[in-house]
Amino acid sequence: MITTVQPIQLSPSDFVALVNQTLEFAYPSVIIEGEINNFRVSKNRWVYFDLKDDIASVKFFGTVYNLPGPLEEGMVLRVTGTPRLHPLYGFSVTIQSIALSGEGTIKKAFELLLKKLTSEGLFEPARKRLLPYPPARIGLITSSESAAYADFVKILAARWGGLQIELADVQVQGEPAAGQIVRAIEHFNASGEPPEVLIIIRGGGSADDLQTFNTEAVTRAVAVSRIPTLVAIGHEIDTSLAELAADVRGSTPSNAAELLVPDRLQIIGVLQAVRDDFGRLLLQTVVSGKKDLSLQAESLSQAVERILSYQKEEIAHAKNILGLLNPQNVLKRGYAVVKKGGVVVRKKSQAKTGDSLEVLLSDGTVKAEVQ
Amino acid sequence: MTKEPQPTYQELKTELDKLLDELQSDDISVEDAMKHYERGMELIKELEKHLSNAENKITKLKAKFD
Repeated sequence: MITTVQPIQLSPSDFVALVNQTLEFAYPSVIIEGEINNFRVSKNRWVYFDLKDDIASVKFFGTVYNLPGPLEEGMVLRVTGTPRLHPLYGFSVTIQSIALSGEGTIKKAFELLLKKLTSEGLFEPARKRLLPYPPARIGLITSSESAAYADFVKILAARWGGLQIELADVQVQGEPAAGQIVRAIEHFNASGEPPEVLIIIRGGGSADDLQTFNTEAVTRAVAVSRIPTLVAIGHEIDTSLAELAADVRGSTPSNAAELLVPDRLQIIGVLQAVRDDFGRLLLQTVVSGKKDLSLQAESLSQAVERILSYQKEEIAHAKNILGLLNPQNVLKRGYAVVKKGGVVVRKKSQAKTGDSLEVLLSDGTVKAEVQ
Repeated sequence: MTKEPQPTYQELKTELDKLLDELQSDDISVEDAMKHYERGMELIKELEKHLSNAENKITKLKAKFD
């Protein structure tokens, strides 16, 4: 049996509404990748371009806020959007987000945005502010599940104590990442009690993974942050635009922790020297400051007495500190020392498959084999 | 009951630096020098305690950034 579908008669408005309903039902969201063509911006706000391949060309429409940065004809974009039929201007895809595609495009976009923002003076050395050293309160923007976060927190804990860290847990790659990072920066800046420094970190990845930190939105948000910024993205060789806009750049997340706070052992050494300075200055004042000899002798002996009594206490106190920093106590907290043939293994390269290792725990040693 | 907020490392360090500066000036009296010395020793002890004991505290913000 053959059924014939009766054509329906509609007004233009009804037809547009019907097509849009059908599109919305069938394709609420599409991702289209193609080469950009006929790119134009109207009234500094509306963005129009086509994406094409060898045969077809599709029109896109969005706002400048969708743009990852300046674009150029010939770049390859991956655009997520909603297909729509406009009542007057015909068919186009309304842009939700734009990603750059392919190494060539990513590199080209990086160069274009670098040029644009450099000419605006965003990366000027004169804009760089000093970070409080060490800070007491920090705002951390990263993914709590990342290795970068674990490294940063570990190095920070080893070097320094007493920091108040507020973590904004955001995505650090993929489509929502840039928006989330921008909003986290704005959140900290709008806070009634803002942290003294903002840290933005992410581990290494492909050029595609690191795109978020080369977007105009993230780079500008870092640059305009009222709170000084420390940004460390990727490996040592990668430099993102967000890092260039930051007050301080870390080569890696671990390096960021090293730049942020001093090493407590070193400071304890410095304090010992300051203690000696105090003793020396006190004696100097007593010796040089008094003309009356008898008074001088009395003051001098008082000063010496005080210095000696403090030094006695100080020795007891130093013992206490050494106890706290004793490696045995570290082992009790669940860390272990790995040795090979009596030598401490610090790097992966020191242990090869099949090597037998000794693992020192708080209450003894176990043997292990590298797999 | 409200607890006095603990002075931060930075506050203690600023006070210590100030004392050391004053102790270095030529016109400090012997009496003040002794007081500065004693306070200096207390501060150094506090700072060392802070350095060896204090742990970092991480608070995850409840705000969502989607």
